[in-house]
Amino acid sequence: MTDRGIQIDEVTVRFPTPGGEPVTAVDRVTQRIPERSFVSVVGPSGCGKSTLLGVIAGLQPATSGTVMVDGRVVTGPDRRVGLVFQEESTLPWKTVTDNVRFAMQIAGVERSEQRRRALEAIELVGLTGFESAYPSMLSGGMRQRVALARSLALAPSVLLMDEPFAALDQQTRLLLGAEILRIWRRTHQTVLFVTHDLSEAILLSQQVWVMSYRPGRIIDVIDVDLPEDRDASVVSTPEFNQLQNRVWESLRAESLRGFRHESAVGT
Amino acid sequence: MTVRQPEVAPPAAPPAGPAPGPPRRRVWGDGRLSALATAALLVALGVIWEIGSAAALWSSEILPAPSALFPALRALAGDPRFWADAGRTGVEVLGSIGFGGVAGLVIGVAFWKAPLVGRIFEPYLVSFYAVPLVLFYPVMIVVVGLGTPSVIILASVMAAIPMALNTWVGLAGIPPVYLKLSRSIGCTRWQQLSRVALPSAAPFVLAGLRLAVVYALIGCIAMEFTTAQAGLGYRIRYLYDSFETTPMYAYILVVLTVSIILTVLLAVLERVVMAGRSRS
Repeated sequence: MTDRGIQIDEVTVRFPTPGGEPVTAVDRVTQRIPERSFVSVVGPSGCGKSTLLGVIAGLQPATSGTVMVDGRVVTGPDRRVGLVFQEESTLPWKTVTDNVRFAMQIAGVERSEQRRRALEAIELVGLTGFESAYPSMLSGGMRQRVALARSLALAPSVLLMDEPFAALDQQTRLLLGAEILRIWRRTHQTVLFVTHDLSEAILLSQQVWVMSYRPGRIIDVIDVDLPEDRDASVVSTPEFNQLQNRVWESLRAESLRGFRHESAVGT
Repeated sequence: MTVRQPEVAPPAAPPAGPAPGPPRRRVWGDGRLSALATAALLVALGVIWEIGSAAALWSSEILPAPSALFPALRALAGDPRFWADAGRTGVEVLGSIGFGGVAGLVIGVAFWKAPLVGRIFEPYLVSFYAVPLVLFYPVMIVVVGLGTPSVIILASVMAAIPMALNTWVGLAGIPPVYLKLSRSIGCTRWQQLSRVALPSAAPFVLAGLRLAVVYALIGCIAMEFTTAQAGLGYRIRYLYDSFETTPMYAYILVVLTVSIILTVLLAVLERVVMAGRSRS
């Protein structure tokens, strides 16, 4: 098979709950991400965005359905798939370089090769000069760049990012967003980017999927026909606003439903 | 909302964080200061002790002057009986640290890997912690006999308990994302434990080792004290019983020195392991 990219076919994930009624986090999702394109998933918090990502990464078994990456069915974690987590995932006892090398060591990359690729990835994410710093000396945004470099150094064909900027302040988010675009234009991986920030999603991607709140379905797919070499200034154009309104329209009802549900559970 | 942003962010203009330089130097300065203070304190104490002895504020039979202890220490260095005692105690202490440390580590890891086992056995381990295990020494003598093995077994148990509890707590507190990361990059179970989980829990494991060393030392000396036929603890008690105060103090000084050396070694180990980790 030569079908590259990501193919999601009728994927459903159900979780058992203490109450007995299982929660359907992902419900019969069928989507395709063409090779080398950048897709974002937006949705209310608590919908199955991260679960769907976990299934593609091979960390979360699907209750039914299959995912194919580059024509091969995902059965477990795969090194062709790079992951960037929402949480702080740099290892505090390793320097920046050793953090970036870690995934390559596990993958059995040759030593000299490790070093070369690590330095390359560090340069790519703009951390040159911090090679031997420890994560505790870096800011949150820089630590996320280290995590990104760790994934990029493995040269994955697919990059999955699970709200990588969620813990950062707005300014750093914007800066890192521009960085991600710049890096993506150089490496051109197939990217699936999970976020709850609409403008971030539109700014970065070529296509935005809107996911509903339980059961998690893709209820809308919006193509972003902005120029590929856009930068953050595109945010102020009428086209951008139009897209944003369009996504928000799809999302509003769902967000409200999710919000009500979570409030009801909370009381 | 107008956000103007250069498309390529300047790479080396990160949000301000502490520079790599200063914190390290400060630690060094602190270390030198505390070493100096310790030395000064010891000298001052020695001087007061010497003056008090010379002025006969207390009988030399209760506490001999430091100047009298040095010849006694020198005499010990040439005494084969001392080396036999020190050798036996050394084997006991190192053996207990080794066995207890490894057993504690294994138990801690097992409790983490099998939470059910952990839940079942934790209360016993914790209550064992509160029991003065030296009490079981007579039982050990009956079972294993008088001698090194019975001391090592009990002292190992004493050392293993804090090691196990600390290792367990440390492993249970690992950020879940570290485990997710290790799975996603394809770590084997052993790699996950040795490359991610244990290094992440290292501060706790080290704290456990610290306690294990202290407990092993206390356990060995205390058990020798009560019933053994040789060893530093036994000799201190023997000299006490026969009113040989000066050599007794020389022996006590030796034990103190050994415990200080062990503590310093642990501090060095801690510094190495904790390099770069101060994420406060």
